[in-house]
Formats: sequence, structure tokens, C-alpha cells
Amino acid sequence: TPLWPAAPLRSWLIPVSSPLCASRGESVHVFGFEIPEEEFLAGFDPDVTVRLLYQDGFTDPLRWTGEAGGFGAEEFTALGVAGRLARGPAGPATVVLDSLSWLLLRQPLPAVCQTLGRIPRAAASAGLRVTRILALLHEDLHPPGLVETLRSLAQAVVGVRPAPEGMGSGEDAPRLASMLQRKGTGKVLTKEEYFTVLAGFTPKALGEPTGSVPRDEDADPHSTVDPTANLTFNLRLSDTERRARDGMPLPFHFSAQK
Amino acid sequence: MAALATGGGMPSDGATSFQRKVPASSRLATIAGTRPSVRHGQLLLSSGLPSLDCVLEEDKYSIYSNLLFKYFLAEGIVCGHNLFVASAKEDPADILKELPAPLFDDAHKNQVNEKETAIKSKQESQESMKIAWRYQNLPRIEVSPAASARIGHYYDVSKMVSPELLQSTKWHRFFVPEEMSLHPEIKTCNMTCGYTRLLQSIQRIIYQEGFDGSYPQKKQKNILRIGIQSLGSVLWGDDICCTDNPEDIYSLTKFLYVLRGLLRMSLSACIITVPAHLIQNKAIMERVTNLSDTVVGLESFIGSERETNPLYKDYQGLIHVHKIPRLNSLICDVSGTKDLAFRLKRKLFTIEVRETVLFHYLEPERWSKSYHLV
Repeated sequence: TPLWPAAPLRSWLIPVSSPLCASRGESVHVFGFEIPEEEFLAGFDPDVTVRLLYQDGFTDPLRWTGEAGGFGAEEFTALGVAGRLARGPAGPATVVLDSLSWLLLRQPLPAVCQTLGRIPRAAASAGLRVTRILALLHEDLHPPGLVETLRSLAQAVVGVRPAPEGMGSGEDAPRLASMLQRKGTGKVLTKEEYFTVLAGFTPKALGEPTGSVPRDEDADPHSTVDPTANLTFNLRLSDTERRARDGMPLPFHFSAQK
Repeated sequence: MAALATGGGMPSDGATSFQRKVPASSRLATIAGTRPSVRHGQLLLSSGLPSLDCVLEEDKYSIYSNLLFKYFLAEGIVCGHNLFVASAKEDPADILKELPAPLFDDAHKNQVNEKETAIKSKQESQESMKIAWRYQNLPRIEVSPAASARIGHYYDVSKMVSPELLQSTKWHRFFVPEEMSLHPEIKTCNMTCGYTRLLQSIQRIIYQEGFDGSYPQKKQKNILRIGIQSLGSVLWGDDICCTDNPEDIYSLTKFLYVLRGLLRMSLSACIITVPAHLIQNKAIMERVTNLSDTVVGLESFIGSERETNPLYKDYQGLIHVHKIPRLNSLICDVSGTKDLAFRLKRKLFTIEVRETVLFHYLEPERWSKSYHLV
């Protein structure tokens, strides 16, 4: 059962997405640093686990024992990652990083981002095709500037937080996912949705927020901003003003007064 | 009244004997796509959108800043200039493939059947001119500026530039991951390494291709348009976007200072997009503004509360002009209009004065024509 306050992202995201990738015939390479392999693979169907290739970065991150098969922090370079990918089957691959926060605590952000950008190229030169890279991030561990920078680099961002009180019932606490996706044409799509995870790691959408949750800026959801309010000039004249304006002689007109 | 004299000659009857020496740069007027400015003797070139040779502060998702970036490069292609494209995220070849296609304006087409239209319009005018009857026999003349005085073209954003036009363009590239792979001993490219390499690359191109006059007689003079995408972002190895206490807070400003020197001594212009909304330390953007000729900020309405404001329903964002160029001049910044809004229709990107946005809202039929800002 997931412990949602401690690890809200990992506990469901990988279990949910891995079967999807595996069903498409892709291999999923998981670089795990935070939990041991057994715990990670628990609960998956066998046909999913056969497609999951786990790179163990948890047991011996500093490479003290030097056992084969482990993955150390300093190996996280484009070539290092591509080398691990090459050990798996050919074909499209998804790379999962659990978690990026762990890596960011050990390597500076620019280096990590450059490595992430270079992984597809390095893999391509080894004959592999990386279709996507999925990185988990514990938002609360990092300064907001770093999180914003990562959001601006990613093509799609999914944020998960617990749903407000009163939503749903039962033992599976629902969560709120806010998704942002940048399409190639320059469009940006945002969506918010409540969901929960059923047994067998299948997600279930519970609908979108209706706006009954009070927002800060506008208490009344039906009022729109009126642009003609709060102007520094008059848009309409009162009667006296209109008469005064009509009675005014214009400078270039001949009139009796002049 | 004070008289300025150059090279002898006494001022007589109050007139000054000051003679403006014809600057050597007037010979440069023959470069395609440029014209000399009468105010300060500098060459002006079009950026694809009028007068935006500058640092662009990116909007939140970099959509519109990339669009203006592409306009700048597209204008270079149409004018036959040379291009230098530098990026850390996108391959420069891919950037060039996605440039908007030029819209050859109707003046060209009209030249073909000009006589036809002149006859037609004359017939129309004979019926309508009651008061101005004296003028109805004159042929209808197109009130368009002379070809030489007008620089700049229009582009169709929905179409990509043709490969033939691209192939005829000479361009140079700088792609950070490529540079890093050329030197595999450097595991990570920190900002000093990235910026230094870029400067060296630009300097080499300027020298080799003769933009600084190093080969004065050999070649026809041309302009180098430099486009640098997302400078200061994490992918350049700089950490000013992730922390407000970066490792080397001056690396970006040092780069701009050296770049400015390179641009001044060569026939080149540069557009740089900077993710200003991510830079944590506000002093850095102040320094960048000081070091640049023009600084324009873009604010898109995506995701902000202005998106639902009916006033802005036809507009996609605002343009904040933080600085306009003051080259070779002593005057201060006197531009009145600093508040601009932009909209991207199917084909055209137009910029309008922000005050007219309210007029559009109140009387849309009357203000249906948008007023392009030159």
C-alpha cells in the first residue's frame, strides 16, 4: 500500500506508467536510487516485470563494495546511462529516474540537465531509441527556482498533491494531478484532475475540479472582469456635461462671439 | 550662436560652417536589407519585426520569444544576410527549418497588373468624387514608401520557409551538446566553458568571413545576424536560473560585454533570448539591461488571469519595452509608447499600442483595422 505523504510521486506513478509502456512493447529502464529493487518491483504482474530493467543505485551508491551491476552516482552521465541501456533489448526504451531529487543532491543542476538532454543522442549512437525520460522529483526538497527551471525544460509536467478534504471516500485517498503539456506547435495544455489508484496499479479518474474549491482571486465564479471599470477617463457623459460640450465654440469655426 | 567649424572657414552672418563629413559608412548603404539612419549614422536593419535588435526576455513558456527569434533569422534569410545560430536545447538546423515563410507583399503582385487596377479605380472615382472633382482625373497612385526606404518583410507563421531559400543562405552553427561531444574530456560544460567557446566561435566567423573588414576588397559586404537562444539557462551550464546565489554571478554579464565589443567592431547584429522569469537574482537582469542596446520583455497571457479578461480576448500577450537603443546620441529615452500588446492571428504577428485595446473592446466595428507599429 502506498504511503502517500512520504513518497507521493513514486508510489503510484511508476506502477501506473510502467504497465502502459510495457504493453506497447517498450522496455522500461528504471534507475532506482531511493528504494531497494524488491520493494520497487512488488505488486507488478510478471509480464510487466519482464520488461522492467532495474539499475540498482540504492544498494551501493558510492560504490564501496564495487559489486557488478550496481549503478553509482558518478556514473550518471550520458555515456554511462547509454551504456546501461545498451545492455537491454533493442527497440524503443523509456528511461525512469527514481528520483531526480536524489541526483540533484549529488550533482549540480546544470550538469544533470545537460546529461538528460544528451541521453537520447548517446543512446541513438549506440543504436537505441529513447522515447521518453520520466523523472520523479520531490518538489519540497528543492528551492522554487530550481523547480521552475526544471518545469520550463520539461515537455510535460505532472504535479501530484493530496486532494482537498471531503473528496471521495474509502481507504484509497484521492489525489489531485495538475498536468501541463507543451505541444510542438507551441500550444500549452493544462488540466487538473482527481484520481485514485485501484488495486493492480490501475488509475481511475475521478473527474475534474468543479471550482467549488474557493480560489483566492475571485469568490464569485460567474463574474468576469469588466474592463470599462476603473478607468482614468469618462466613457459616458452626463446631461449637463453633454450640454456644456455642445455649447462650446470650436477654435477654427467662425462664431458670433469671435 | 555657437558655430562649429571643421577644417577652416569663418562663420559668416550667423550661419555655421559646420559641414557634416560624409561618413565612410554611407558606402555601406549598398548592403542589401539595410539603410543608414539619418539620426546617428548607423546602419539600420530590419529584424523581421520593426526595430527589435535586442535582448528578449522570454515569456513563460518561450513560445513568443522563439517566434520573434525566428522572425529575426527569417529576415536575414530573405535579405541574403549570413546567419549564426547558437542554442543549447534545439539543434540549429531544426530551428532554421521551422522559420516562417516570407509573404511577398501585394506590391510585387500589383506591379504586374498595375495598369489594370489603375483604370478600374479611375472609373470608380469618377462616380464618387463630387467634392474633390478636380482630382478625379489623376491616376490612383499607390501610397507606398519607396523601395529603398522600406526595409522589412511580412511572414506567414503557418508556413515554413522553403528548403531552396534555406539552401541559398550561408549560416553557421553552435550547438552546446555538439561542442561538448567534440571535447569528451570535459564531462560537464560549465558556463565559463560554454560562453567562452561561443565567443571564440563568433569571433572566428567574424574574422574568417570578413565582417570586421579584415578582407576589405575581396568580398561584397554583408551583415551577420547572430541569434542566441535561451542564454543563461541551465543548459548553457549557468546556474543563475536555479539559485539566487550562483557560482559565478558575472559570467553572463562578462559574456555580453565581450559580445558587445565584437558586434560594435563588425557588421553584425544580435538577438538574444533570456529566460528572465527564471533568473533568481534580479540584479543580473538589471546588468543585462545596462549592457544591451534594446531590451524587450514578453508576457504571454497563457495561464494568467488575463487570459479570461474580455479586454484581451483577441490578444496573446503584452510587450514591455524596457530599453531602446541610444547609439551615438546624447538624448535620453523619449519614446512615449512603452505599453504594447501583441496578437498572433493565423498568419501575422502584430503589435499594437495597448491603449487601443480598450477601443477594440468598446467599438470593435470601428476599430477593426489594427494599427501596425513601425
